[in-house]
Amino acid sequence: MHKDFKLGKEDIHILKGIDLDIEQGEMVALLGPSGSGKSTFLNVLGGLVPPTSGDIMIRDYRISDMTENELCLFRREHLGFIFQSYNLISTMTAMENVALALTFAGVKKEIRQQRAQEALEVVGLVDRMGHKPSELSGGQQQRVSIARALVNHPEIILADEPTGNLDSKTSADIMEMITRLNREEKQTFVIVTHDPDTTKYCTKVIHMCDGLIEAEVNQ
Amino acid sequence: MKFRTILTIIGVVIGTASIIVMVSIGNGAQKSITDELSGIGSVTTLQVYQDLSSMGMTAMGGGKTDDKAILNDDAIKDLKKIDGVVAVTPVVNLSGGEIEVDREQYGVSLMGVDYAVLEDMRYVTTSGKKPGANDENSVILGKDVLTSFTYTGASTQLEASAVKPEDLIGQNITMTIKRTNANGEEEIKTQKLKVTGVLEATGGNEDYSIIADYHLVTDLNEWQTGRKANVKKQGYSQALVTVEDSSVVNDVTSEVEAMKFTVFSMQQILDSMGSVFQMLQILLGGIGGVALLVACIGIVNTMTMSIYERTKEIGIMKVIGASISDIRNMFIAESTMIGLIGGLVGIVISLVLSVLINLIAGLFIGGEGGVTISYITPGLVVFALFFSALVGLLSGVRPAIKAANLSSLDAIRSE
Repeated sequence: MHKDFKLGKEDIHILKGIDLDIEQGEMVALLGPSGSGKSTFLNVLGGLVPPTSGDIMIRDYRISDMTENELCLFRREHLGFIFQSYNLISTMTAMENVALALTFAGVKKEIRQQRAQEALEVVGLVDRMGHKPSELSGGQQQRVSIARALVNHPEIILADEPTGNLDSKTSADIMEMITRLNREEKQTFVIVTHDPDTTKYCTKVIHMCDGLIEAEVNQ
Repeated sequence: MKFRTILTIIGVVIGTASIIVMVSIGNGAQKSITDELSGIGSVTTLQVYQDLSSMGMTAMGGGKTDDKAILNDDAIKDLKKIDGVVAVTPVVNLSGGEIEVDREQYGVSLMGVDYAVLEDMRYVTTSGKKPGANDENSVILGKDVLTSFTYTGASTQLEASAVKPEDLIGQNITMTIKRTNANGEEEIKTQKLKVTGVLEATGGNEDYSIIADYHLVTDLNEWQTGRKANVKKQGYSQALVTVEDSSVVNDVTSEVEAMKFTVFSMQQILDSMGSVFQMLQILLGGIGGVALLVACIGIVNTMTMSIYERTKEIGIMKVIGASISDIRNMFIAESTMIGLIGGLVGIVISLVLSVLINLIAGLFIGGEGGVTISYITPGLVVFALFFSALVGLLSGVRPAIKAANLSSLDAIRSE
């Protein structure tokens, strides 16, 4: 799979031929220095940007051929996202942020609230569900965003530097929570990180450099 | 709610209110004039005339009139058969009569109608009552019979209006008519008339006439002209057709016209005035519409700003599964709400303004029972609400499409 970007008149080859299989229930870390293409790879995987060439298959879905609208529907059903900067909507409470994903799926209001509450329970934030993001610490905000990624019960969760903005103690908490979810809910995680500490929680570590896979380590 | 959004809504409020107030002034003008007109002449009475060309032919005493419609007793019967017609009466006029009241002479005309249908006609007596079908010598006075006619007394002193028509109810008055016989001598005939009532103002000929039975008027006419009237061949000059209500006026009019008679009704005047007022309203509404157009630009601006501000939010929503149409509908709903809220507030404000305009106009113009300068119809309110919502919706379309088409990744990365 390839991905090019246009920078001015030049084509920049970010991903220069990636061929990778990820099994269901795996917890994969994408490790590499900045500029190695690991974030771009994650975005292509989530259908946020189309690949320049090549295919991406998730189960039987060829997402590289999907239209923008099909991708939206696919993400709603099968994918969850966790970002480094949390990306919560600042005007909404934790509960509303989590429930928002269900709103677009057309879930009824009572069920939305019930499921959002359950998701917040999983991340241990039920007592904070009426708070706005600005009233929560970084670790708490990241837990809200994990709850939001979980609420649809997606098969795959894509995480871009989930611990990048957190101190080491909070990072460890978050990673332990992700590990527990991976074990209990059998969800597949793909985690982009440049922090070697994070990789020890993962079942597979993929080292990327210059848009290529350098090494694939099972652990 | 953001201050910016409130300002935008105020723009819509001003736009909606200016349209409503402008159109309501056009409405008010139409209402006061149509009320005036329908108050004067009964809207439910049609005046039917013989076709003018056929009248000319018979008046010249010759010509074949077989193919012309003649307004004779058969025609009266046919008119009566039309659906929605309540009463039909021929009208026979007599002029040149004189009556003496309280030693003053008044010139009068008689308007003869069929007393058999007098009950069904829309004549209303302000005092007294209508004569019965067999009261051949009883009459109703038009309200201006005594006051508006030429003063013909010998005395130079004016003692007019000392006697009101109402004072004559129950009394007998004597009318004299004159003719010149074959030998050039003047002959005088007197006729006693019993006054039973006074007619409410109609705005028509009735106000200056004495309403009498047409048999009597025909007899007097024959004496005055020295000729037997040939109604069967020449017809009556006019007939009055009373219909059930104003909704059937147009149908009856076209049926009568199909019988080759000429019809005149207040409805025709009102109809032709209606199109003039429609033009006026479109013009006034257009002037008000300029304000709403400006408001519309304001909505586009606010929505575009809001999208720039919320780019990241839009990106987040798209990443967590909002479809293109979800995003688009969200922004269109928002701008429609701006239009709708602005429209609602605008309607309330214009209702208040309308009352104020009429109050202030009442202070300057005076008049009893208030003045209608501005008149807001329910239809206008519904239209304004619908229109303001539509303006909001349309203003939101372009910004909403722009929002929906944002790339989710670029949007989520923006700050």
